[in-house]
Amino acid sequence: MFTSIWKEHKGFGKQIFLLAKNELIKTYKGAVIGPFWAVVKPAFTVFVYWFAFSVGIKALRSVNVHLNGMEHEAFSINFFTFMFVGIVPWFFIQEQIIQGSKTLRTNRQFITKVKFPVSTILTYTGLSRLFVHLFLFVIMYAYIIFFRVSNGMFPVSWYDLQFFFYCPLMFFFFLALSWSTAPMSAFSKDFESLIVSVMSGIFWLSGIMYDSYSFTGPLKWAMLLNPINFFANGYRNAFLYNRGFWVYKTELVIFLAELIGITLLGIFNYNRLRKTLPDVL
Amino acid sequence: MSPDTIISFKDVSKTYILYKNDQARFKALFIKPKNPKTNKALNKVSFEIKRGESVGVIGDNGAGKSTLLKMITGVAFPDEGDIYVDGKVAALLELTAGFSPEMTGRENIYLKGYILGLEDSYIKEIEENIIEFAELGDYIDQPVRTYSSGMKLRLGFAINVNIEPDVLVVDEALAVGDASFKKKCKDKIRDIINAGTTVLYVSHSAPSVKEICPRAIYLRKGTVIFDGPTDEALQVYNDYKEAQKAKKKK
Repeated sequence: MFTSIWKEHKGFGKQIFLLAKNELIKTYKGAVIGPFWAVVKPAFTVFVYWFAFSVGIKALRSVNVHLNGMEHEAFSINFFTFMFVGIVPWFFIQEQIIQGSKTLRTNRQFITKVKFPVSTILTYTGLSRLFVHLFLFVIMYAYIIFFRVSNGMFPVSWYDLQFFFYCPLMFFFFLALSWSTAPMSAFSKDFESLIVSVMSGIFWLSGIMYDSYSFTGPLKWAMLLNPINFFANGYRNAFLYNRGFWVYKTELVIFLAELIGITLLGIFNYNRLRKTLPDVL
Repeated sequence: MSPDTIISFKDVSKTYILYKNDQARFKALFIKPKNPKTNKALNKVSFEIKRGESVGVIGDNGAGKSTLLKMITGVAFPDEGDIYVDGKVAALLELTAGFSPEMTGRENIYLKGYILGLEDSYIKEIEENIIEFAELGDYIDQPVRTYSSGMKLRLGFAINVNIEPDVLVVDEALAVGDASFKKKCKDKIRDIINAGTTVLYVSHSAPSVKEICPRAIYLRKGTVIFDGPTDEALQVYNDYKEAQKAKKKK
């Protein structure tokens, strides 16, 4: 049971990479500024949020971050920087959840017309989204260096290397999630609509625009259960807080448990629905 | 199973579940539906095909021919029974499936090759043959979205017949381009048969099956009614059709 997804990927690595590249070209070919669209849309979104909260509502020029829960003293950080570092992984997560669940339906020709290792469709389309994420990340990192220098800090930090922990983990986590959501969306369009309509709400329920550590009681646990917070806070750990991923152990353990759960659920759902996919699409 | 068996079906059954509506479908994601309406597409189908044989598959619409072919090509899966297919299968069924419209014809050859699990070096070897066979000329380096439907079919056909398959699945309803290209396709299929490739040929028309296949399988409502010499299979098929007609007249 565990091997089916692995088997489909074995010996297909090069093809996956090429198909991911093809997917990127397909998305942006034919547009005049081509790949820059991958930046224009998120850049505009960042601008809008910054404008609405810092300029419009005027309330949010800075965010108070409670690194070790409410019992410790908070420190203040510039709102734009705080939001920017959290929203970059969010863009990937959002695309991966929404587009990832639609992927099998939009690539139905690979399922109903030709023999194809179906789970690799999720991998190569996910990879093409990861390329876009890396591109955005480079821009974000350039900003971080600028931010540090302008605040009299050293431009780079050892903690930055945690990117190589969080980013692959983020890719895998949401890929494993799509093993469940993509076959289910292919099976029932209602399920797909459900995901799409839930996602915009998820944004406001996650600590992208605010500090998810700043809660007490049941809300604190609700925030810890949301895996999106793990990554938004993770990127901030690496680039803003100078804190290792191992420091907040409760958060890490909860996330790892979710990772195992989502992976097992994904394998289960994929195997359960794989053989009916050609019949329902 | 003898060693030169290339395709073997053993008690293969396939049932499609017909959902009443979208709610029923959504519910089926979480709970197994109780007594759903079903359509048995294949019912305990068994046969063996030897390497190099050409076999015709005949039967009315809805007899299960497409389901059978989809299983051989590895697209669909049975509910029960075992299927064994040994070797590379090329299907002249959905010729344009898997094309990426924004990519050029040449890039699509590689893309399709990867989908079929071919190596770069091998694709490079057959690339020129494909381009030559498809008669696309300079269009080969243009995006596929600029192709006419005939050009797309030609490219699809050229790729499928040039990958040197072990099993070739052909649907007779296939119409590729103008008369001269059609002839070229027919000749190519004949070449492939003569080269010892196993061919499965699906058809409604008696003469073309007789021409290509010495053996035929006659399917009716998902069951194998007859499996043997084409002449006899066609006889059984025609007798049944006549009987149906006579019934209607009454």
